[in-house]
Amino acid sequence: MDGTGSVKVPDGKLVRVHATYDDRIESVRITGDFFLEPPEALEDLEAALEGQPADASEDDLRAAVDGVDAQLIGFDAGDLAAATVEAVR
Amino acid sequence: MSFDTTNWRIIDEGTYSEPVQQALEEVLTDRLDRGEMDPTLRFWYRDTRGVPMGRFQAFEDEVAVDYVEENGIDVVRRITGGGAMYVEPGNVITYSMYVPRSAVPDDIEASYATLDQWVIDALNDIGLDVEHEPLNDISHPDGKIGGAAQLRTGDAVLHHTTMSYALDTEEMLRVLRIGEDKISDKAVKSAEKRVAVMRDHIDESREEVIDALVDSFQDTYGGSMGSLTDEELSAARKLADEKFATDEWNRSL
Repeated sequence: MDGTGSVKVPDGKLVRVHATYDDRIESVRITGDFFLEPPEALEDLEAALEGQPADASEDDLRAAVDGVDAQLIGFDAGDLAAATVEAVR
Repeated sequence: MSFDTTNWRIIDEGTYSEPVQQALEEVLTDRLDRGEMDPTLRFWYRDTRGVPMGRFQAFEDEVAVDYVEENGIDVVRRITGGGAMYVEPGNVITYSMYVPRSAVPDDIEASYATLDQWVIDALNDIGLDVEHEPLNDISHPDGKIGGAAQLRTGDAVLHHTTMSYALDTEEMLRVLRIGEDKISDKAVKSAEKRVAVMRDHIDESREEVIDALVDSFQDTYGGSMGSLTDEELSAARKLADEKFATDEWNRSL
């Protein structure tokens, strides 16, 4: 299965997550008008979400994203987790 | 925040394609990062309509693909995050600052405000009621007049900004998918569509605005007029061919 979720951060940016999943999240693509330093960390954020259970809680997904060494600008780990939950719902 | 104001190079010349413009951003930021270049301010001159798109944006989410292809509008992915803008030669003002990281506040929000300030000052001086709006907008009571984007490397910060001087905002809504009713909820759409255009509010020509910007920059940071070197330009042309003019880069997301 696959799905898309998005979060528009109030006074912030749009984060969109496209995921393919079964019992687990198989692949994730994150797009949007946010900023990220370093930019190459995008792949690390995607990798942190891949392999998570498809029914993982938003808190668990946020914790997975929080473990990535990157500065999220215009959005935060919670926004990314919320968009992911919507994508796999 | 104090700057070394002794050695800024100010470039206000040179018309390049959108891929070469975006390649220059990577070439010049890398050169500053490696200590091979003085801090530089560069104003852009374009020869075609284009869409500089944010690094993390999906091509098909942002532009009306058929429309840009039929009309020869060059969609090029930037090395900076942020949103897509529609640009027309002569109707926008774009500039880039390549700044030593040591001269920029570590705090991202503060750095946008600091690096926009000389522009706000210049525009206020010619009677344009603009202010910095966090994170990265230059706003007017009528709407957003410009937006900045940054990239940080080890020792360099790229800060580039595009402002609408006389942009055709109806055409913008045909080019960018924010113009489509179905694409986003009404609140998002109305916020993103609200673009203000300088020429609705001032009599100065685009050239006069740029002159005022240069004056304000020199008041703040000093610097003297200069040019790109042949090496910088040839490196950018090569990188444009290899990367910024390719679908692999521009349509990778």
